[in-house]
Amino acid sequence: MEQNKMTEQESLRLIGEMIGKVKRSYITKGIASIVWGVLIIVCSLLTWVQLQYHVDFGFDVWLLVFAAIIPQIYFSVKEKKERKFIGHDEQTMSYVWSAFGICIFILSFYNSRFGGEETTSLFMMLYGVPTFITGGIFTFRPMILGGVICWGLSVVSLFTSFATDMLFLAACGLFAWLIPGVILWQRYLKQKAGNV
Amino acid sequence: MFKELDPILHSQLRLAVISLLISVKEAEFTFIKEKANATAGNLSVQINKLKEAGYIDVTKQFHNNYPQTICKITPAGVEAFETYVKALQSYMNPASQ
Repeated sequence: MEQNKMTEQESLRLIGEMIGKVKRSYITKGIASIVWGVLIIVCSLLTWVQLQYHVDFGFDVWLLVFAAIIPQIYFSVKEKKERKFIGHDEQTMSYVWSAFGICIFILSFYNSRFGGEETTSLFMMLYGVPTFITGGIFTFRPMILGGVICWGLSVVSLFTSFATDMLFLAACGLFAWLIPGVILWQRYLKQKAGNV
Repeated sequence: MFKELDPILHSQLRLAVISLLISVKEAEFTFIKEKANATAGNLSVQINKLKEAGYIDVTKQFHNNYPQTICKITPAGVEAFETYVKALQSYMNPASQ
């Protein structure tokens, strides 16, 4: 970039151009979203199979969620290390998702202590919160929609059986995380191909 | 009355750097170089000027055994950028002054 004298219009255009370049660099691989989406779908469907066909897998399938925390941390740290800049919104996001994780843990603990099939609606309601906020902050419509779908299904699940709720939960995993995650992954590949 | 444009910011590469840094919490030298489409030498000189003016903070560290330079806009830099943009707007819309 040359050190030419600029007119006022050129200065404003340059500012807009640089801000736009940074905005387009906010590309995440979406791996975390895909992992959680797949996990929620698998656990929900396995629970549905257990309920529907009276099958016993011999262990609590939802423990798989905790097993996924290790690869999740690994991928997050790896992605962070590869990033060449830190955005203003990343700290906010980290607090939002940490709060979500803590709430899920407390609700799971409540569930294991007191039981109750009604908590599935609360899980879906909670799934919607960070998804909707993330979608809103990054103006990423698939996640905004995913959050809204979680809330909608949360309300509907108040009137349906526990087995049906498991299908709703799988739908939440699909719309809130798996589909947005795949879209992000495709965007990442597209950007990577463009940089080659 | 037109406001005077800050000579530190009214330069193509320095303005590009500060516009980029205003949009992020911090950024690596290589990222700025790529986005501003600048040479390493020219960018180093301009970054030093911005640092001397107190508009950015520069931290040098090692990452995976490689030297890494991290740049971050300071509160003074944010203020200078806002003043610069307001001054530009006054040139563009003199009637509003």
